[in-house]
Amino acid sequence: MVKFLKPNKAVVLLQGRYAGRKAVIVRSFDDGTRDRPYGHCLVAGIKKYPAKVIRKDSAKKTAKKSKVKAFIKVVNYTHIMPTRYTLDVDLKDVVTPDSLVTKDKKVTTAKEIKKRFEERFKSGKNRWFFSKLRF
Amino acid sequence: MVTAKKTKKTHESINNRLALVMKSGKYTLGYKTVLRTLRNSKGKLIIISNNCPPLRKSEIEYYAMLAKVGVHHYTGNNVELGTACGKFHRVSCLSIIDAGDSDIIKSLPGDH
Repeated sequence: MVKFLKPNKAVVLLQGRYAGRKAVIVRSFDDGTRDRPYGHCLVAGIKKYPAKVIRKDSAKKTAKKSKVKAFIKVVNYTHIMPTRYTLDVDLKDVVTPDSLVTKDKKVTTAKEIKKRFEERFKSGKNRWFFSKLRF
Repeated sequence: MVTAKKTKKTHESINNRLALVMKSGKYTLGYKTVLRTLRNSKGKLIIISNNCPPLRKSEIEYYAMLAKVGVHHYTGNNVELGTACGKFHRVSCLSIIDAGDSDIIKSLPGDH
């Protein structure tokens, strides 16, 4: 009886091109909108996971391995598997529903998300989120 | 086995309570709607039959854990659960939204 599809929840996408990728809910539309009369949410996810960094790596190699590629997507609740993890990254100001309208806005938003994800990855927190889901 | 075999008396009482919910309360039957009620936090109790596929059972239990909703594993397969609901089809999982006159929600989530 507790609502759990809230912003900052980590989810796994189940369908589509990004199936198997982890994402974080930025905004949720429980009752849908006129264009989408079903429960859906805006998620920001990882398109390309950062590689495993070992102590032996040089600084240049670490920088290259810690690169993250991000995506934003509006996705139906039925195509999402919620998890018990959360990711407190402030993405509300960056990701807005109108940033999905045109391709260049999408690209700039994805770049901003990428930056925030990379700093979170480098800080060593939320390790589960940045590890690839093996299946 | 964690619990001993369910006595006939408690099994009957669950059936009676379920029948009362069917008559007076609100419920949905079926996997898709059970997940939907869990997502929009309307479900109050989930009942799963014993021959529900284990992956699906784990998925429903995980959603219920996130939503803090009780899950009851019915001692009986989907045929028997369908009969207990008064339906002529199999019911593998059901979600009780509003118990009506029944006290099934208060009396059940003691056991899992």
